[in-house]
Amino acid sequence: MTFKQLTEEHLDALREVSNVGMGHAATALSQLVGETVYLHVPQVTLTDIANVPDLLGGPEQVVVGITLQIRGDAQGNIILVFPLESAERLVAQLLARDHGPDAFDEIGISTIKEVGNILASSYLGAMGSLLNLTLIPSIPLLANDMAGAVIDFLLIELSEEGNQALMIETEFHGSNKDDKLIRGHFFLLPDPTSLVVITDAIGGLNDNA
Amino acid sequence: MTMRERVGISEFKIATTPVSLVTYGLGSCLGITLYDAEVCLGGLAHTLLPRPRPGMDLSRMTKFVDASIRLMADELVANGASMARLQAKVFGGANMFAALQEWSGESIGQRNIVCARETLAELGIPLAAEEVGGNFGRTVVFNLATGKVLVKSVREGQAEVEY
Repeated sequence: MTFKQLTEEHLDALREVSNVGMGHAATALSQLVGETVYLHVPQVTLTDIANVPDLLGGPEQVVVGITLQIRGDAQGNIILVFPLESAERLVAQLLARDHGPDAFDEIGISTIKEVGNILASSYLGAMGSLLNLTLIPSIPLLANDMAGAVIDFLLIELSEEGNQALMIETEFHGSNKDDKLIRGHFFLLPDPTSLVVITDAIGGLNDNA
Repeated sequence: MTMRERVGISEFKIATTPVSLVTYGLGSCLGITLYDAEVCLGGLAHTLLPRPRPGMDLSRMTKFVDASIRLMADELVANGASMARLQAKVFGGANMFAALQEWSGESIGQRNIVCARETLAELGIPLAAEEVGGNFGRTVVFNLATGKVLVKSVREGQAEVEY
């Protein structure tokens, strides 16, 4: 199966499954930061790999990216992208210290990786129990650089199989006003080789309904 | 007044003065320039993978380092450049996540760099400059009027270096 063979129904189902997964992730993040976290409606985009950096806010945009591989019954990658300032605020808030330039010292990096781990685990856990699949996140990796550079290893992986990427994206933000707002994007990029597993699981979902 | 033209992922463009070709946010990918100084004609490629392996998708050869260099050299020669005068510069091939390398042996960035050097050597194109490896992203601006390449990064103290 290739990305091109996905039907509208498949994409709708992915959007719905992702919504459930992201709901759980947002609850986890709310508890962590102690404020309500709001979600936008998930977007499912099938696009040329060349367009992916633009969809992440532009290739030169400096971001903090946390990536995790998905292991288990299906493979793929999760990327959590925070604008630099949001990542700094998040670290400051979680560690109850001043928001400063040294946000990404060892403990800061470790903190934000753990945020990635918690979000990915709750997302995959919810998605997995819905689809009856075992989905486990790898340890998180972090890079603080231009968005294009942070994610191009994923595009390299995808380009071995074709020229397209399937991106399931959710934007979220906290409830603090203006200068304390935390925003981020959560991306799920399934491997093309795992599409059949996911669409079969979604099909099974419909059969049971 | 120079005009900027963007080179996207898995493509190359050729141009002449007064254009600047630019590609943004290279991580493990490579930015490869070829330039004939006598006619101010050159090209910039943004490649993802070293060379095709069995089972890989071949619908867009410009994502490969070796094919891009050959196709770009051919197109430059077809437009009036001389193969004997072409000079190359190579940028990128970083390893953004140290742990990825531990899992997979030689990093994809490193394999891209090696492939570019080998292909250039096979074609007899001298490598005039390179800034490769490391763990940071690069934006490459190639000025066709001068043949100079400006490499921008977000590292402290080394935001812009010209090659």
